Amino acid sequence: MENLVYIALFAPLVSSLFAGLFAMSPRKTFVGVVSSLLLFISFISSAVLGYHIATTGANVHVTMMDWISVADLHIPFGFIADHVSVTMMVVVSLVSTIVHIYSIGYMDHDKSFNRFFSYLSAFVFSMLVLVMSDNFAGLFIGWEGVGVCSWLLIGFWYHKPDVSREENPSISPSWAANEAFIMNRIADLGMLVGLFIIFWSTGSLQYDVVFSQIPNLAPAVLTAAAMALFIGAMGKSAQFPLHTWLTDAMEGPTPVSALIHAATMVTAGVFLVIRANPIFSVTPEVSYFIAALGTFVAFFAASMALVNRDLKRIIAFSTLSQLGYMFAAAGLGAYWIALFHLAAHAFFKALLFLGAGNVMHAMHGELDIFKMGGLKKQMRWTYAYMGLASLALAGIPPLAGFFSKDAIIETAFNEGTLILWAMLVITAGMTAFYSFRQVFLTFLGDERYKEFGIHPHEMYGFVLIAMSPLAILAVIAGFFRDWFNSFIIHLLPNYEMSENTHHLALILGAIVLVVAVSGIILAYKKYAKGLKRSEKTENGLIYKLLINQYYIPKIYEALITKPYAEISKLMWTKVDMRIVDATVDGIAKFIYKSGDGSRKMQTGNLSNYLNWMAGGALALLFIAVASSVIG
Amino acid sequence: MSFILSILIFFPVVAGILGFIVEKGSARVYGISIAAIEFILSLWLWMNFDSTSASMQFVEFFPIVKDFGINYYVGVDGISLFLVVMTTLMTLIGMTSMTIKTEIKNMVVTLLFLEMTMVGVFLALDAIVFYFFWELSLVPMLYIIGAWGGPLRVYASIKFFLYTFTGSLIMLVGMLFVAYSFYSITGVWSFALTDWYALKFDLNYQFWLFLAFFVGFAIKVPMFPFHTWLPYAHGQAPTIGSVILAAVLLKMGTYGFVRFSLPMFPDASVMMILPIAIISIIMIIYTAMVAYAQEDMKQVIAYSSVSHMGIIMLGIFAMNSQGITGSIFQMLSHGIVSGALFMLVGVIYDRTHTKIMSNFGGLATIMPKYALVFGIMLMASVGLPLTIGFVGEFLVLIGFYKVSPILTILAGTSIIVGAIYMLSVYKKSFFGEVTNEENKKLKDLNAKELWSFIPLVAIVIWLGIYPKPVLTPIDNSVQAMLSFMKEKAITPEAKNMIIATQAAKEAK
Repeated sequence: MENLVYIALFAPLVSSLFAGLFAMSPRKTFVGVVSSLLLFISFISSAVLGYHIATTGANVHVTMMDWISVADLHIPFGFIADHVSVTMMVVVSLVSTIVHIYSIGYMDHDKSFNRFFSYLSAFVFSMLVLVMSDNFAGLFIGWEGVGVCSWLLIGFWYHKPDVSREENPSISPSWAANEAFIMNRIADLGMLVGLFIIFWSTGSLQYDVVFSQIPNLAPAVLTAAAMALFIGAMGKSAQFPLHTWLTDAMEGPTPVSALIHAATMVTAGVFLVIRANPIFSVTPEVSYFIAALGTFVAFFAASMALVNRDLKRIIAFSTLSQLGYMFAAAGLGAYWIALFHLAAHAFFKALLFLGAGNVMHAMHGELDIFKMGGLKKQMRWTYAYMGLASLALAGIPPLAGFFSKDAIIETAFNEGTLILWAMLVITAGMTAFYSFRQVFLTFLGDERYKEFGIHPHEMYGFVLIAMSPLAILAVIAGFFRDWFNSFIIHLLPNYEMSENTHHLALILGAIVLVVAVSGIILAYKKYAKGLKRSEKTENGLIYKLLINQYYIPKIYEALITKPYAEISKLMWTKVDMRIVDATVDGIAKFIYKSGDGSRKMQTGNLSNYLNWMAGGALALLFIAVASSVIG
Repeated sequence: MSFILSILIFFPVVAGILGFIVEKGSARVYGISIAAIEFILSLWLWMNFDSTSASMQFVEFFPIVKDFGINYYVGVDGISLFLVVMTTLMTLIGMTSMTIKTEIKNMVVTLLFLEMTMVGVFLALDAIVFYFFWELSLVPMLYIIGAWGGPLRVYASIKFFLYTFTGSLIMLVGMLFVAYSFYSITGVWSFALTDWYALKFDLNYQFWLFLAFFVGFAIKVPMFPFHTWLPYAHGQAPTIGSVILAAVLLKMGTYGFVRFSLPMFPDASVMMILPIAIISIIMIIYTAMVAYAQEDMKQVIAYSSVSHMGIIMLGIFAMNSQGITGSIFQMLSHGIVSGALFMLVGVIYDRTHTKIMSNFGGLATIMPKYALVFGIMLMASVGLPLTIGFVGEFLVLIGFYKVSPILTILAGTSIIVGAIYMLSVYKKSFFGEVTNEENKKLKDLNAKELWSFIPLVAIVIWLGIYPKPVLTPIDNSVQAMLSFMKEKAITPEAKNMIIATQAAKEAK
């Protein structure tokens, strides 16, 4: 079993290095095939490990070697496959395998085909390090590793120049990549501080040691640690106010958006909260804050998705919103439900994104859903996939999203946090609306693309087949809820609804369902027949606010980016050059000048020297007298 | 080889003098061979170094001026060992990658001379020997900047010389005072560091002596606000000068703090934690901002050096093993990474004769290998885990957290501000469209350049993944030093602040 852990972990690294060998040579299909195969091996190993753990209940723990060892700080490279990490491993490796195969088709014409696979596999490796590590420092390796891979992949088409925000809200791929990296780094500082607090209060960074020490720690320390770790989670999972990078990250190739910015990396924050649940479950204030922020983000992101016209950005907002749901669940103590939604969401969101990739491929890179419509005819499979994924996202039974999201909303009710509950229900309606607004505008109604001379075509057959496992899982994953519950509670605390909630479960479910279905119906009425734009709405205040993302990117630019650049410039030209350096040069000049000035005393004229001597003698006399008087 | 340390110090200079008779055409090859032998010698030293022992090894001692206690006294411990290895490595790599055509023979001889002084500084255990090499290192650098530098080379080199020289003179006064104190207590003169360590000064003396040494070291590091000689020196120096300056010469300052200030003045050092931490944080944040504002690629790296030296200074004053070991590791890491970055700037300067970033853009398309190496060094510079840059930075921050959480958070912004200026350099130079038509004809790294970078890349990754072989010997010596300091400290604050893990272990 130990070997399987290593195979699952290192197969993606081998894949990355292998593809990296060909990074500078022309496109080779076999690079993609070999990479996909290696990823598949990783998936199989993870699945076998999962089966092993499910049947025996025993974790597989390996310690490879020491990493950093100084004084009483010991950090090994240790990896653990337990109930939580194996769930993540299966989800990550499965979605990654599919995305790898998908990319063989999607990146077909890209001259950096080989390089793409190298980055993509490197990402999977980092993600696996993140989820499998048995200590916080190892988690941080993966944490930063996925950050770099995300940077590389968002900026994959780095050759595109910067344009104005009006033309492209993300400016350019390289700009978006840097934004993502830097914003994540801000949060990573929080995460590091969390690590420091944990180390100095428990003397270790190993999960098992740290968690066993929790009863001995002061509440203030725990709260600080939980808060610091959560700040880290906010960056990776793009929670407000560190959310703007995620939508800009859509500049990356679509398979990247599906894998990294929907299914896996962005869920790392949720994973951290779940993994460190012993800390969070004893810090109720922080947990409640997480739940409240999660709910707010769910609502806030969904509102921006309502009016957006960019196919990928709508899905990105929806990802943000669903991450909010996950945090709401985790914050309320329903860790296993958060993990369940994480897995279910990974399947249907990846499917949705890959579907969007098909549309993009067909539309020659066009992303504006106002320029699409009626694509159903040419792209029946993609329509089916995206429709299915949207139904799952909207929480329509019996698809996966129904089971997982409904449980979260029910949890909010069960905890008595009715405001959160109400917001989550409203958000469910908005989710259904914007998902189907997008589906209808893309696939139904008038064929607006014809004006632009685009001839859409369906994606390659093998790509469509590769997507099918995701479609199947989006449909059936929900039925495994009870099984998953009994599996995961070996490690995570169980969360049970109270008697009262149990009685009301049907009514609660019905409320959510009615809201969601009305969202779909509203979308159908408005958009299924064709696009009717209303000048009045589009000039309205709310519409303007939403389409500009509440002006947050602009505010950040005005309040942070620009001032930082200007202050930096000022620091250099004024402070460093004019003050610090000028002082140094000033002292040097003074010494030089005074030396130069006093040199004139050396005239070689004897009577001049006598004058100086007399003056000096007088001065000495004066000082002597003065000091004796004072003394 | 019982005289290995003397061989390490004097072999380059003897070979350098012989170098005068070498034919001009083969001067470069000659220099590389000598540097390679020197590097192998330093590896031999490492192999034969007993890493379980924390004490001075391979010690050599013979009197020079007996009456004044001035001795030729050298030795190596975990703290200095790797600085020596790094010095010989960077000299070798710098010499291999050198593209200077004019006066090549003089350059080779100068570099070998410089190598002697640098190795000498790290190995000296006698204050006068230390001071001798310390000051002597200025001469070859003055010559390198002054003779092969850019248009402002005379201004830059004189500024560099006078500034650091002034600082060293104040340090010399401090040294003489310590020696005199030793004389007044024991009745004999001694400049041996090991003798000096035994001296216990009261707090007032410690404070003033600390300041005297501080001035000498701080200008060398360079600490804010004494740093302005550095951008000029880097801006005017040829690539090889910048590589050696950033990689090794700056480390002499931080090494001085570890070798002299901490063990000699433990109470004053503890007293000075706060002011030094504040200066360090200014270095980290302020110079990172200044770096971000630069238009010249080389100036960005120059200012980034100051920023990184801030991290090193902070770690030294963490007064625990994580911080100090981390600091010394960060010295090595910064040596390798900044050396490599300056070499990378040299590569593009050789091709385009400009370092202004607005002339670049889209280089990743034209020079993918160059972009790859630059990318790896960038990631090491911003402290990505599994690269050499992370280990030191992480240890320093975790160590200093024990001293002050708030200051650590401020210093920790280095991971943010560092990413900002480095990524901005990368975006401006490598991403986007190729705006300059002439750049389309640029050639990617040639074999010689590639082979100078491959060892550095390998080290960056190796020590990022497995830093243990280096960390353990450093840690041993640092822990021994800390328990010595704790023992010696007279004020209760200092006794509390200094954390000596090993002492605790032994007590058990």
